[in-house]
Amino acid sequence: MKLTLKKSLGAHDGSVWSLSVKKNEITGHPLLLASGSSDKQVKIYSLTSDNYDLYETLDSSVHRKTISSVSWRPNTLNEQLILASSSFDTTTSIWGKEPTDSDFELLALIEGHENEVKSCQWSHNGKYLATCSRDKSVWIWEADEYSEEFECVAVLQEHDQDIKNVAWHPEQLMLATSSYDDTVKIYIPYEDDWECVSSLEGHEGTVWCSAFEAGLNTDSTRLVTCSDDSTLKIWEMIHDGTDDNEGQIWEVQSQLPDYVHSRQIYSCAWNDKNGLITSTGADGKLVVYKEKGQRGSGEWDVVAELYDAHNEYEVNCVIWINENTLATAGDDGSINVWSLSD
Amino acid sequence: SQLIHLQSDFKNQRQASMDLDISMEDETEERQKIDPQEIYDLIAHISDPEHPMSLGQLSIVKLEDIKISDETDSPETRMKDLVIQITPTITHCSLATLIGLGIRVRLDRALHPKYRPTIILKPGTHQSENQVNKQLNDKERVAAACENEQLLNVIRKMLSTCK
Repeated sequence: MKLTLKKSLGAHDGSVWSLSVKKNEITGHPLLLASGSSDKQVKIYSLTSDNYDLYETLDSSVHRKTISSVSWRPNTLNEQLILASSSFDTTTSIWGKEPTDSDFELLALIEGHENEVKSCQWSHNGKYLATCSRDKSVWIWEADEYSEEFECVAVLQEHDQDIKNVAWHPEQLMLATSSYDDTVKIYIPYEDDWECVSSLEGHEGTVWCSAFEAGLNTDSTRLVTCSDDSTLKIWEMIHDGTDDNEGQIWEVQSQLPDYVHSRQIYSCAWNDKNGLITSTGADGKLVVYKEKGQRGSGEWDVVAELYDAHNEYEVNCVIWINENTLATAGDDGSINVWSLSD
Repeated sequence: SQLIHLQSDFKNQRQASMDLDISMEDETEERQKIDPQEIYDLIAHISDPEHPMSLGQLSIVKLEDIKISDETDSPETRMKDLVIQITPTITHCSLATLIGLGIRVRLDRALHPKYRPTIILKPGTHQSENQVNKQLNDKERVAAACENEQLLNVIRKMLSTCK
């Protein structure tokens, strides 16, 4: 397969750290792309035409430091658009727009973390927002339907070091957190609380990001993780622990081809339609992997790769916009949109 | 001496890469190449945070501990690896991280972005070697540290003696 640069958006005056795509809940068509940057700004681009026009730059006086992460809320009322953006200034802001409004407005500012918030993400059902920080804690917030009131329902302190990323399962309430302590922890709701049910140990360096495989109807649950150790690992849950209270057991099913990346891997994403995985990082390489034969074979091939995806700059984030379109965010301040073709 | 403005915006950072007479546009192959001596000259004049001496004078940075990857190592990419080993004056030096951070900030501001500096303690020279190395090479921690006013003031002072 081949990766071709479709569009390069000179989006920010500083490193772009995070991207999030908002899709039409019914048709699945991509609508908007949000980005967060060291320039303390959040930008929103329209994806409904091929021009990727800038839709809006959110009020930049809200955050005093780098925007580390952005996430669109799924499953909102009446086509309302809701975006969360977290910052090194310890806060997470919530932005909303009704279909009749012309601009996004600040609905809430969530405080609680002691220092930099590194990542935020909404759960698949839009009910919970998870945030994580250098203060070694993960907070789960329950949001009201208007995204104005946030109640902290859990403070999870299982990691020994800062937490780089939170990632929800796309179809169920299961959360994975990646950390500077080289581990990934898995949490699920348990009675009135949230419980850490597993710790995934195996990486030999900071784990930067993780992504669950979509598909509740499949017979197993899998997670891909990427690390400072220049590897990606695919983990499979081999025991769900619901019958014996012993927690979940996860095993490494595959390590994606060695020597593909030569430096830290900062970001990975699993396509929910075609099962392809993509990764990128400090070596500036953008890579796409495909599982050989049947799903679950555990053997993966590199089907597309590209050097210097953001010229000589590092790449911090990659997401799937749809089955054959990717977007990357780089230290050059730009967002690149790629098409993947046969 | 020229004070490096840490707070400089992104465009100024790009401008800073002109320090070495390397332009972002239309660069020729010759112009792109730099040698360990040039890297040494960039960082040797950084002041030690507690002594009135420079990192070069204290032999915390040494010319022979600076390595730049060869053009032929990885012909597919324009990026270049640069490894700098630093030697703290004492094995329990509490300021090793700060010194490393000062070097990183200096290089990030002064070098063309294609250079990927890895800053590590010389093996066996510090009791918390792995911990310090991990921090110094975590880009997110470095980015966050560079938004900390207090820390910035200290680094600004360290870099004020750079030529």
